[in-house]
Amino acid sequence: MKGWRPPAPFILLLPAIVVLAAVVIVPLVLSLYSSFTAFRLTQPASLYTLIGFRNYQRILTDIEFWAAFGRTVLLLTIALNLEMLLGLGLAMLVEKATSGQRLLRTIMMFPMMFSPILVGFQFKFMFNDNIGLVNNTLQSLGLSSQAIPWLIDGTLAFIAILVAEIWSSTSVFAILILAGLLAMPKEPIEAARVDGCTPWQTFRYVTWPFIMPFAYIAMTIRSLDVARAYDIVKIMTDGGPAKRTELLWTLISRTAYADARMGVANAMAYVAILLSIVFTAYFFRKLSAARTQIAAEW
Amino acid sequence: MSKLFAGIVTGSLLLASGALAAELPGTFKGVTIDAKLIGGQQYEALYARIAEWEKATGAKVNILSKKNHFELDKEIKSDIATGNISWCVGSNHSSFAPQYPDIYTDLAVILPKTEIAAFVPSTIKAATLGGKLVMLPRAQFDVSALYYQKSLYQDDAKKKAFKEKYGYDLTPPDTWQQVADQAAFFSHPPDFYGTQFAGKEEAINGRFYEMLVAEGGEYLDKDGKPAFNSDAGVRALDWFVKLYKAKAVPAGTTNYLWDDLGQGFASGTIALNLDWPGWANFFNDPKSSKVAGNVGVKVQPAGSSGKRTGWSGFHGFSVTESCAHKDAAASLVWFLTNEDSQKLEAGAGPLPTRTAVWDWDIAQAATDPYKKEVLGAFQAAATHAFAVPQTPSWIEISNAVYPELQAAILGDKSSKDALDTAAKKATQILEDAGAL
Amino acid sequence: MNENSKARATALTLSIIHKIALFLAMTIICLPGLWIVLASFRPTVEIMAKPPVWVPQDLSFDAYVAMFSGVGQGGIPVIEYFRNSLIISVTSTVIALAIGMAGGYAFARFRFRAKSAIFLGLMLTRTVPGIALSLPLFFVYSRLGIIDTHFGLIMAYVALNVPFTIWLIDGFFRQVPKDLAEAAQIDGCTRWQAFWQVEFPLAGPGIASSGIFAFLTSWNEFALASQLTRSVNSKTLPVGLLDYTAEFTIDWRGMCALAVVMIIPALVLTFIVQKHLVSGLTSGAVKG
Repeated sequence: MKGWRPPAPFILLLPAIVVLAAVVIVPLVLSLYSSFTAFRLTQPASLYTLIGFRNYQRILTDIEFWAAFGRTVLLLTIALNLEMLLGLGLAMLVEKATSGQRLLRTIMMFPMMFSPILVGFQFKFMFNDNIGLVNNTLQSLGLSSQAIPWLIDGTLAFIAILVAEIWSSTSVFAILILAGLLAMPKEPIEAARVDGCTPWQTFRYVTWPFIMPFAYIAMTIRSLDVARAYDIVKIMTDGGPAKRTELLWTLISRTAYADARMGVANAMAYVAILLSIVFTAYFFRKLSAARTQIAAEW
Repeated sequence: MSKLFAGIVTGSLLLASGALAAELPGTFKGVTIDAKLIGGQQYEALYARIAEWEKATGAKVNILSKKNHFELDKEIKSDIATGNISWCVGSNHSSFAPQYPDIYTDLAVILPKTEIAAFVPSTIKAATLGGKLVMLPRAQFDVSALYYQKSLYQDDAKKKAFKEKYGYDLTPPDTWQQVADQAAFFSHPPDFYGTQFAGKEEAINGRFYEMLVAEGGEYLDKDGKPAFNSDAGVRALDWFVKLYKAKAVPAGTTNYLWDDLGQGFASGTIALNLDWPGWANFFNDPKSSKVAGNVGVKVQPAGSSGKRTGWSGFHGFSVTESCAHKDAAASLVWFLTNEDSQKLEAGAGPLPTRTAVWDWDIAQAATDPYKKEVLGAFQAAATHAFAVPQTPSWIEISNAVYPELQAAILGDKSSKDALDTAAKKATQILEDAGAL
Repeated sequence: MNENSKARATALTLSIIHKIALFLAMTIICLPGLWIVLASFRPTVEIMAKPPVWVPQDLSFDAYVAMFSGVGQGGIPVIEYFRNSLIISVTSTVIALAIGMAGGYAFARFRFRAKSAIFLGLMLTRTVPGIALSLPLFFVYSRLGIIDTHFGLIMAYVALNVPFTIWLIDGFFRQVPKDLAEAAQIDGCTRWQAFWQVEFPLAGPGIASSGIFAFLTSWNEFALASQLTRSVNSKTLPVGLLDYTAEFTIDWRGMCALAVVMIIPALVLTFIVQKHLVSGLTSGAVKG
């Protein structure tokens, strides 16, 4: 009387699969369906009006959608790369410190304690052109006699959002890269020094290849998580003015709730999800490549 | 025998004409009312009175959610979408109410006429959508009047210079043209600006809408078609454009919402500020404002058509159509908007919507010159008030129009181009909604 | 001799440059945060002043006092929010770790079909932005009647954190040599005992470090919480921040005070576990 026993990995993975199916997959199927309907929030009956690919057609031929799409890709690319560079710098600074490591590491992670929505409010006030901290500082130091319209000018607003985003997320890179630096064996560096390598060469050919996988892990984690930036942008500019800082997420949320056009919004959301998948898959491949390079078993 | 019969007839007639006709608040033992209320410090003092209503009626109130206005709107829309209108009383707002026309019941049927007549008639009119009184207004009526720094108008050198340049006396402005002149005159960026305006979302669309009306235009024509890309529309939008170009407003103004504007005026860097009554105490409180003691308030200026601006809105409470105990719910709504409730709210600054409470409010202020000035100005302002066009698509149209207004203000487009594009988008929205 | 002192001078200069750079970096990181802390003690008129008031003139605990006073005196139900946040974050972190340990162990110790595909699939569920998920999730939750409950939000956060915990914990288990557990089994332990007595203690610091990530994510999440919570039954601190906004006003000082209340527990927790955090990440994450 021996019944079928499911294989162990199946049992072990079951809880994860059940939770993810309930909370992510089922809702996603629902929203996939609704992206083919004329669904408006305020008219529940419209959930059953199928309109084929109309929503997709509409957004894919909409210049404003593509502008938001392009801007999102640009923001992600710049933000992730800068965060990595700054995180690398920060990690190296902290690693070199001889005392106060515990305090330094805690401070390094300080921005991670801030809810993204709070970061949004914080930087909106700091970048206020009239009474914001940034302009006040510049004016008090005599560096500028003008009220710089940080959140108005398209480029400046983009920079302001970047600053907020980088401030809040560089920590993730720094902490992971720091872990990499600490894990690194010291002998190769010694050897490189004995061989007469310059510090730059040592970094380029010894240190960097070793910590690269850590950097890619951070990249992957962040690209899984970038939509967090929505909270920040929503509060700081909400895509404005005149759509100068419109990102996919702000566009989706406004269309979905304020305009109540859930069908179209879900179609947009699917395009946004595809974008995240591409980013993530890209970093995953980079990660595996880097892993083989340091001969980790996979 | 016949007397008894007559008694029963009158009794049932009374019942038919509305269960509450006899005595408000009535008794509703064992009834539980589920409610969704707007949260936030300014609105919550009133909710302490719910306990009194519970005591008087024997019913219970179960507060399902308390959120800020925009979050609540999201929540109610989600409820409509999922068919989950299981609650009875909801906070409502005149600008949002047209979006959910079907879920709220007609309060005029349930509540006695005399009670409804005690409210300011124009407010009741604005709360009536498609013949249904969908909400009872609380003492949170909003219309904007002009705040200004008094000292600017007492400076003889300034007066002289102004007269020389513009040919008329420097006094607190009565037309929007004068506001534009004076704003340019007072400004010296980046330390001081003549005026400012809300620059995004429904806020800028609302400001544009009232300016359009003051210029003699209309937002939607009588067939409900967008008509704001008229000459009056271009004049209205140009007013904003010119101020921005002249640097008479802070450069960040197109990203400002109400909180930024209030803080800006309180920081003492703005001369003239069209703003809501809720700020009156804040501006004159030395703890929150640098201009305390120096604030003047005046009825809002007029546009070139001679009409004054007066975009208004108000908060209120509604009862759902699906509510099992509409009479109890209506009694609660009445209680939260009755004279005592309105006195409680109006005492803290906001404007009442009951005629009797207006009188009370003014009598209260008799000894406080600032409060008297504020109330006088806003009472005058309220007489010119008008609500937003009553279309369910108002918020959606706002979202489509405001980026175009911003584009014109920032100089990306001409006013005419921007308005034409905006009108096209608005038309499309109305067509999609089946309104055209 | 000369050479030597020159080298020493260079080393000294480098060390000074390093100290200055470190100081600058830490200042930049801290300033925006400290500015919030400071703002919570200052009256609004000073925060918004122009010309700016650089040296605080008038510090007080007014905002904190107001926060804890009753409704109508500027109070918000901060104790309830705090309780909700704590229950939801801690419970969801613990569950996510348990599920993550099971899943991570499966990936680390077993061979099965379509392993990498399943792994990637699990990770990709995390790419769905909260804003795209919020309404459909609301649909499902309202059918189940778990809107505005701790349970609902805990489920959502578990799902949010599971992919990441599986990934990290997978790495930590790989780091523990297989032979150790096998040796224990030869000594008479069951696989279950071997896991708890040998493998789990060794992977412990790593698991703690994925715990802190999960906790911080739940503690700070806003987009889903704003849709799935409604009243003091389940509203969390980030959603509570919006209590300081009204239609026309925002109480920036009050908001800052609440922010401080939110940040302190997270900061204390991080300070306590950060040692494990770095060593845990060091040992595990990379050897995926």
